[in-house]
Amino acid sequence: MSDDTLFQSRRAFLRALPAITAGAALPLNSASAAEGKHHWAMLVDVRKCIGCQACTVSCIMENAVPVNSFRTIVSTYAVTQEVDGHTQVGTYVLPRLCNHCDNPPCVPVCPVGATFKRDDGIVVVDGDRCVGCAYCVQACPYDARFINHDTNKADKCTFCAHRVDAGLLPACVETCVGGARIFGDLNDPKGELRRRLDAAKRTEPNAVKVLKPESGTHPNVFYIGLDPRFQGRVEGQAALWRPSEHGG
Amino acid sequence: MSTSIVEVVNVAREVSWLPWAVQYFFLIGLSVGCFLLTMPWFALRRPAWERASRLALLGALACGLTAPVALLADLHQPGRFLNFYLHPNFGSWMAWGAFFIPLYLGGLALYTWLILRPDLKRLADAGGRWAGVYRAFAYGGHDSLGAIRIAAVLALTGAALVALYTGMEVMVVHARPLWDTPLLPVQFFITAVAGAIGLVLVLDRAIGDGHAAQGAHLLRLLAATQILVLAVGAAWLLLGVTGLSPTHANALAQVAPSSAWQITAVWAAGSAMVTLWLAVRHPAWRLAAGLIALHSAWMMRWTVFIGGQEIPKTGAGYYHDYHLPLGQDGMLGILGTAGLWIAVLIILISVLPWAGQRRVQA
Ligand code: SF4
Ligand code: SF4
Ligand code: SF4
Repeated sequence: MSDDTLFQSRRAFLRALPAITAGAALPLNSASAAEGKHHWAMLVDVRKCIGCQACTVSCIMENAVPVNSFRTIVSTYAVTQEVDGHTQVGTYVLPRLCNHCDNPPCVPVCPVGATFKRDDGIVVVDGDRCVGCAYCVQACPYDARFINHDTNKADKCTFCAHRVDAGLLPACVETCVGGARIFGDLNDPKGELRRRLDAAKRTEPNAVKVLKPESGTHPNVFYIGLDPRFQGRVEGQAALWRPSEHGG
Repeated sequence: MSTSIVEVVNVAREVSWLPWAVQYFFLIGLSVGCFLLTMPWFALRRPAWERASRLALLGALACGLTAPVALLADLHQPGRFLNFYLHPNFGSWMAWGAFFIPLYLGGLALYTWLILRPDLKRLADAGGRWAGVYRAFAYGGHDSLGAIRIAAVLALTGAALVALYTGMEVMVVHARPLWDTPLLPVQFFITAVAGAIGLVLVLDRAIGDGHAAQGAHLLRLLAATQILVLAVGAAWLLLGVTGLSPTHANALAQVAPSSAWQITAVWAAGSAMVTLWLAVRHPAWRLAAGLIALHSAWMMRWTVFIGGQEIPKTGAGYYHDYHLPLGQDGMLGILGTAGLWIAVLIILISVLPWAGQRRVQA
């Protein structure tokens, strides 16, 4: 009997394996099944990010991002502060990527209409049309865009649209070690993204933040645990290490 | 609670509007400024302006013909420039630019041709190897002030639109507070006119007879531009310091802490004052005044474009990593446009009867 139980539970476990390995893809699949059109978004739970940059690396591998360029990076800060007369030293990490803004300043400036927002909310660049004028690079308030020196076109995070269209998760989400990145459909109230967002808002109305809210861009990358000191341009000492100063 | 934040890891975004862009905005500004200086003689027939206007016409053409090359070179996909005409997005100032530039240059070409027709005919009549070519271009050689004035209005419309779009294109970039100030287009325009006067003064020494400033009030005009430069600069600072204009306050806040920016501001104000002083007090030093005005126009654009892109939008501090590369995206680009400009100027001087009667008689 105990054997049987063991057998059954093992069988149940084996049956569950594909679902576990496809793990994070589950909310996406259920989202795909939802009615109506998608509105893709990401939630970054900064409290869970360990600053491992696994997302940075997986994005580079997935999207063949050239040396010294980044579609996503986890900005890392050393913070020293006085709390109750004691000096505290800590690290703050902040995953950054294109916010796929609902009001994206990068789109109207494009002289040839090469960059646009898809129906599902993803902001993309039509590589066949882009003339590489870099106007969109200037217009993005988040420094999310760059000129790709391999293609000589504007480049940025696409939420891994090629993967999303195939029912997969963005590479950074798939790889996220700390489980800090959650991707999903804002239009799917039962999906994990909405459940996490709604739960956070229930516990604390201001828990969910976006970067530079005053710029009116209406980002679709939301943050939990976002320290206001890092919400806009960071007041501090410039980076000690910047990739472009190495290699290349 | 005191906090200190040190950025440990972040990306440095490269300058993506390259020195080519600085060259473009500099050259197209000079061209527009020079064109304005051609009008007192060619469209309004003020005799005192003849020398200055003829030199200015050369300047307008040489800069106007070189500028689009620099602009194309700034595209990372120059071969696709046709997309500007196949898929224009008229919500973008840059898209309009693709139409304003040909309008201006077309107007300028027509204006120049109508001006030079009689002189081309004289050249043809004088005979020589190219007489046939000159005769064909002279196309009868009629001199029609009315036609010149119509072309001047066309070119002036183009010039105004070019000045407008180059200023607006940069001003609307809210993501860069330093660019996002209503005074920027004004500053571009005034420094362009000042630079154009400077160019005329330099050309006057190089290929003219050194008398272009006589009676043409060139130096007084130069002084006026410098007073405007200083006044607008002071207004910019005042709006920022007092916080009367939040956009200027934002712009100021971005650059105020940096000693490099403080030096730049002092440098710019100092250059304007020296130019003003030379123009008013030492007319004999007008070549120096002209050179400084030209340098100020270039520096202003370099600072706004390259310096502006050195300010991170989200990261801390400044990028400070822009070292002018020696390749075609940097030094070679600047030298290349300068070389092209000189070549175009030499060709224009050699083939066009730019000096009118004077040269034909000589
Ligand atoms: S983050 Fe920047 S690149 Fe992305 S949609 Fe917003 S403005 Fe455009
Ligand atoms: S770089 Fe490409 S996508 Fe960006 S504004 Fe220019 S043409 Fe449009
Ligand atoms: S992979 Fe996840 S935990 Fe690691 S740095 Fe990226 S967001 Fe943070």
